[in-house]
Amino acid sequence: MFESLQHLITGFTIAATVHNLLYCLIGCIVGTLIGVLPGLGPIAGIALLIPATFGLNPTSAIIMLAGIYYGAMYGGSTTSILLNVPGETASVITCIDGYQMAQKGRAGPALAIVAIGSFIAGTIGIFGLVFLAPPLAEAALAFGPPEYFSLMVFGFIVLSNVTGKSFLKSLMMAIVGLIIGAIGLDPVSGDARFTYGSISLLGGIEFVAVAIGVFGIGEVLVNVNQPSELLDQKVLRPRLRELYPSLQDLKKSVGPILRGAVSGFGIGLVPGPAPVIATYASYMIEKKVSKHPEEFGKGAIEGVAGPESANNSACQAAFIPLFVLGIPFGPVTAIFLGALLIHGVSPGPLMISQHPDLFWGVIASMYIGNFILLILNLPFVPLFANILRIPKKILLPLVILFCITGMYSVNNSVFDIWMMLLFGAMGFLMRKWAYEGAPLLLALVLGPKMEVAFRQSLMISHGDFGVFVNRPISMAFLLATAIFLIFPGVRFIFKQLKKGGI
Amino acid sequence: MAGTGMFPLILGILLMFLSCIFLLKLLYQHKKTTTKRDSGGEVRRSPVQLILFFGTMVLATAFFDKLGYPLASFLLLAALLRTLGMKQWTLNILLSLMTAAASYFLFVQWLQIPLPKGFIGL
Amino acid sequence: MLRKIIIGLSLALVLFMCAPIQAAEFPTKEVQIIIPWSAGGATDLIFRALGATTGKYLGEAVVIVNRTGGAGAVGYTEAMQAKPDGYTLVSAITPLTILPHRVKTAYTYASFEPIINVVKDPGMFLVRSDAPWKSLEEFLGYAKKNPEMITVGNSGTGGGVHLIALAFEDAAGVTFNHIPFAGGGPSVTALLGGHINAVSVSPPEGIEHVKAGKLKIIALFSEERFEMFPDVQTVKEQGIDFVMGQWRGLVSSKGTPPDVVNILHDAFKKGMEDPVFQKNAKDMAINLHYLGPEAFGKLMAREHELFGKLIQKMKK
Repeated sequence: MFESLQHLITGFTIAATVHNLLYCLIGCIVGTLIGVLPGLGPIAGIALLIPATFGLNPTSAIIMLAGIYYGAMYGGSTTSILLNVPGETASVITCIDGYQMAQKGRAGPALAIVAIGSFIAGTIGIFGLVFLAPPLAEAALAFGPPEYFSLMVFGFIVLSNVTGKSFLKSLMMAIVGLIIGAIGLDPVSGDARFTYGSISLLGGIEFVAVAIGVFGIGEVLVNVNQPSELLDQKVLRPRLRELYPSLQDLKKSVGPILRGAVSGFGIGLVPGPAPVIATYASYMIEKKVSKHPEEFGKGAIEGVAGPESANNSACQAAFIPLFVLGIPFGPVTAIFLGALLIHGVSPGPLMISQHPDLFWGVIASMYIGNFILLILNLPFVPLFANILRIPKKILLPLVILFCITGMYSVNNSVFDIWMMLLFGAMGFLMRKWAYEGAPLLLALVLGPKMEVAFRQSLMISHGDFGVFVNRPISMAFLLATAIFLIFPGVRFIFKQLKKGGI
Repeated sequence: MAGTGMFPLILGILLMFLSCIFLLKLLYQHKKTTTKRDSGGEVRRSPVQLILFFGTMVLATAFFDKLGYPLASFLLLAALLRTLGMKQWTLNILLSLMTAAASYFLFVQWLQIPLPKGFIGL
Repeated sequence: MLRKIIIGLSLALVLFMCAPIQAAEFPTKEVQIIIPWSAGGATDLIFRALGATTGKYLGEAVVIVNRTGGAGAVGYTEAMQAKPDGYTLVSAITPLTILPHRVKTAYTYASFEPIINVVKDPGMFLVRSDAPWKSLEEFLGYAKKNPEMITVGNSGTGGGVHLIALAFEDAAGVTFNHIPFAGGGPSVTALLGGHINAVSVSPPEGIEHVKAGKLKIIALFSEERFEMFPDVQTVKEQGIDFVMGQWRGLVSSKGTPPDVVNILHDAFKKGMEDPVFQKNAKDMAINLHYLGPEAFGKLMAREHELFGKLIQKMKK
């Protein structure tokens, strides 16, 4: 343990050289710009900039790329709060309460709490990374297809009614999400489903297209559909005092931030789109724990502080499997793997011992990066918040341009833009008829993976369904799901019995 | 054994099932509150603006590749601004031109993001 | 208010115009390589590295564009339809000769003009070091006695390593239970966690773990032994005449004039021989295998036929 601490200090000395600090700073700035553009998440950003790092030594290169990663994560939440456009997949939940806060003139506190929460969570996450990495990595290995399936079923059931309004409607949206997720090549058998011969659909529908469409474009259309007088208005004019969180805001956020940091870290270890799931889970937890659950959905700062913190620490945790096992669990860490390989560093069990300066230097720079982002972004909060002073008439077209640019940049595909428009129309209707978008997106993310895990498990067990209950971890999750489903029913019956006095 | 079509089939059935429940619920509630007609704050307005706005987006997407990014974004902005009621053309053109130029320089030149070049070759 | 917006925009405009306009942006003359897979994958990395070194030999920049979707279909279709003027290339890898057999695509390998092959990596099977089988013999012996029992993971149904595994079944006279995963990474993870018995991969997947001693190569499908692991025998040495791997090269759309092909070929060849690229390749443990346009074309034709037969077998 103390050895780790010593290494960490060495890491700091490496990361704190002027050179590396500069690269970190550049990374953070570029990352924020990239993150703000919807769709162009850290993945494309990092990939685009890998060639720019060719001339650098591996440590500096990775430090810069890591800065881009964090910057992008932060930038993504900025557009979610200000414009209801998810900057990237993990920012979807932030749209819910963050945008509402902005609508009430509280964009400043929202943006600021994201920076603060991310920083705190990042710090906690880094400590977790340093001290818990190897045992956690081993634990992550114990998850095989049956465990993933059960975990995802649990997550799906628990999280599908995140916003708490009509459970029935949320479930329907979730199923629609699952159906959309089934479009494309069946990952197990390789046959095409729902593609109707279209080559563009073979790869399935891009998640970002649905997210930006339903949330961003949908919101714009809802606004356009309002009477002209409203369009000349701006969103409430924030006063300087109100640009930063009040003491009360900060007090309310402490719990969510800490809870988010811990839960996000745990969830971040699971392969797949862990940050997204972490945000949903944190939102759910905060709602359940809060004394004023009815405020969620209307601009509760807990609904922003928690998920964003969880997001950040999940991102930290995602590096554990990469560094310890050499296996990337998600698309972003896959790019990092690539960057490392190009620089001649092969992550894996030997990496830490063979390249200790790289490992610890990067860890330390992650912390520094978080810090830089905090200082960088807090002053920008008023600047960003002022975007909302632009009259809607002008703002809305800008947002559309923004969304289209971002969407195209993900896959260089006009087809994606069409999909985004289609889901924009759908998002508009969903808004009119009070259907929630969050369950749909969650299902879109989890669905395909659940199905794959299910079929893989059955293939391994030669058709034996017992595989899900014979293994302890898997069984535990299924049991938890069952309890979650049955519990309200049991409570209800119990209450009825008591009332009826039977 | 789990085949390709099993999953979508289950989903389809579930969706139909839930829709039926929803329908029943709706009918049940309608019976209870038939007399109260809540038309309150919903302003009845013509959807023309919305259709024009959306239509412009569709057009821009259709010609996105041919026009190229700078031109397409300029036209898109100008059209959308007009749709939302900006009648002064000088202001409109100025705004659209500068925004399109700014985003071109930011995204294409500086961040090097591949965006369509169109016939003007930018 | 509007005045402020205009001033703000003007400032932004001026600011961005001063930003570094990098030399890589040649509006009409840059050469594009379309990569039908996502950024960060093995193919993407190799060609990004190659593109970086080839630029100076070509005199113009080489730009990478990712066009993912449909197991390569989206990228290859677009490349096929591009003007045959040599400005749009696409990375041709083994799945180019596989997918057309499984799904009706608009292209086959013959829709393209081969330029150069860059890499050829052998396939291999990995097992955990604590596996009950200490040698290929024991492994195959068990497989023979228990058909379809040994679980072999792959990076996706119908993908390169899956078909290599199927072909190996034929050559060795056994059957396995193939479990698809979403890529090489997850399949190796599953092996590490003990959820499957073996995995079919090609470098650099799994290499690190073999180096660390957690996994071992139980079957190697190449002509020669691995430089990095000189003690591992190939299956050929052990009596099974089976050599199969994945190749990665560059092609352009059909009809590209021969002199353009030659210029591209020469430039990329120099890019391959560039010391920076050589070092990158070594670090990534990939096997450089240069082939000129004709030889590459023949290779693709052969593979196309081979996979045609394998797919038929898979469909049964």
